[in-house]
Amino acid sequence: MKQDKSKNRRTFQLLTRTTAIYLLFTFIAFYGSALFLTNEADQFIHSYLKHRFDRAQGFIQREMREGEEFNKLPYSAEIVKLPQPVDSTLYPVYADTLVHNAAMDEMLRFRKRISIFNINNQQYKLTMIKQMDDFYQLRDDIFGSIIPAFIMLAVGIVLFNLLLSRSIFKPFNRILGIMKMYKIGTDIDVEHVNTSTAEFVKMQQLFHNMLDRIEYDYRHLKEYTENMAHEIQTPLTVIRNKTENLIADDDVMERQASAVKIIYDETNYLSRLGNTLNLLTKIENGEFNKVEELITKPIIEKHVEAVAELARLKSLQIEHRLDAMHKIMIDPFLLDIVIKNLLRNAIRYGTNEGPIRIVTETDSLNISNYGPPLDVSPEKLFERFYRNGNPQASLGLGLSLVKKICELNQMDITYQYDAHQHIFHLKQSDN
Amino acid sequence: MKLLIVEDNTHLASDMKQFLTENGFVVEVAGTLREASQRINDYQYDLVILDLGLPDGNGLALISEIKEKEKDVAILIVTAKNSLEDKVKGLDLGADDYITKPFHKVELNARVRSVLRRNKFNRKDIIVVDALKIDLPASQAYVNDKPLILTKKEYDLLLYFMYNKNRVLTKESIAEHLWGDHIDEADSFDFIYNHIKNLRKKITAAGGKNYIQAMYGMGYKFSEES
Repeated sequence: MKQDKSKNRRTFQLLTRTTAIYLLFTFIAFYGSALFLTNEADQFIHSYLKHRFDRAQGFIQREMREGEEFNKLPYSAEIVKLPQPVDSTLYPVYADTLVHNAAMDEMLRFRKRISIFNINNQQYKLTMIKQMDDFYQLRDDIFGSIIPAFIMLAVGIVLFNLLLSRSIFKPFNRILGIMKMYKIGTDIDVEHVNTSTAEFVKMQQLFHNMLDRIEYDYRHLKEYTENMAHEIQTPLTVIRNKTENLIADDDVMERQASAVKIIYDETNYLSRLGNTLNLLTKIENGEFNKVEELITKPIIEKHVEAVAELARLKSLQIEHRLDAMHKIMIDPFLLDIVIKNLLRNAIRYGTNEGPIRIVTETDSLNISNYGPPLDVSPEKLFERFYRNGNPQASLGLGLSLVKKICELNQMDITYQYDAHQHIFHLKQSDN
Repeated sequence: MKLLIVEDNTHLASDMKQFLTENGFVVEVAGTLREASQRINDYQYDLVILDLGLPDGNGLALISEIKEKEKDVAILIVTAKNSLEDKVKGLDLGADDYITKPFHKVELNARVRSVLRRNKFNRKDIIVVDALKIDLPASQAYVNDKPLILTKKEYDLLLYFMYNKNRVLTKESIAEHLWGDHIDEADSFDFIYNHIKNLRKKITAAGGKNYIQAMYGMGYKFSEES
């Protein structure tokens, strides 16, 4: 269940994901520092202007106390004598304002300060303005340069990561490729990928250890099957011979005929089972590897000839239409097994509703027989120990043998039930 | 006729020895490659029945040895089924025939006889049982010297019975002898019955007795007295 969930979720490449997270983080950091910088700039501007205004105000107050006349006041200062006293703690007041400069035809930013001071118990209101466009220009420039810097950084990171994934992740992807290509029991040396990235080295190490363990277990299991199948034959021969002695003994048979028969039948069954499993193992081991291009026509004809009599006794017709050019790339021994088993299967299950047909065309082989439909799903057909109906008569290994051989020789075998016919279709892949 | 059985399983070896002795052969047994080699050196045999899987090596080595010494001895190799390679190698090296394990004793007897017949100058080319006669080189059966028209399978079956006179041949052994593994054994039993019915009919029609009897539903026995 857990697996299904993770399957449905969208996946991202590790680098894409880290890059996205990294970019988000950098964006926040950049934005934060931009806010900080503009704030700093504002404070600087403010304290600078305050200092200038203070000095100007100090100068004006001094001059007024001494009764001097101003002919020119700094910062366009205006001094107004207040008729009624105001609460001087509310001042100074600052305000920013835009003034249109006709000469430059642009709006300029000014700061205005209104402050209150006392001279000889008379309150005066002092208003001063100062142009501060240059300061703000600088402040806005700082803020404005942050975004292009961020975009450049982002582009740089993405490009860099693309390069990284090509180079740093190259060994990773190669290891993955090797994992994908690996097939159990193929006995091919697994390629070693050179990498100095600790994680990949570790992964590769684990992968190789795992392979060794799998191969070891697989080999042992195969050896066990092989030995069992082989070693069992001699004792079985002994048992069978002893049983045949009993069969020849009238005294024994008069009393124990059915027991002897069961012993004999089961011994034969075991012996055939051992042989077939042994054959299956040998096929899996690739011991039949003298692959040649075989023209199937004479081979099929030979097999049809061999079973013709059996078919006749079962009142089955065998029809064949064979393409003289039909070829299969395979070990001759294996092709014999395939054809023998398919034919045997057709004769075993065929009914005399119609003939058994063997047809070869340029690149395919079909063999069909009439009969009632299967009791189970067609996939079961190729499974080991599956038999339709009468279980005693056959081992149930024939079709799984055929399937195995096909798998190992790039052939597809398919089954189909159509118009009362069981049809096996065999086709060799192009490569 | 003197035979040497080279087989390491003592039960099987003594079984084979007993059976072949009952069939009129003089039989000796060797359990290892070395023992076999020594015996072949010291004595004269007509046939060696050689199991290839021996404790001290592959039996194929013995075939080369026999052929090098130019001993006039036929060789019947015993291989595990499906050991195609061993079989081919053995025949290439000069073995006369092979039989696969597990084999039926009656099949072994038939193989031994046919190898000996093909290989030996003192071969018996004619087998006679009561009114029945088989001319082996001509592959022709006679009843009271009148030719019997048989199909190939019927002829093989009759010869198999006559080689194994007075023995029970199980249906399994007959199926294997006639069809190899072209057919599931249980399927073939009806066919065997058919063949035997036809064979009986042909023999009795030609004046012979009913030599073939069914045994407990397991097999058939061929004997002179019916």
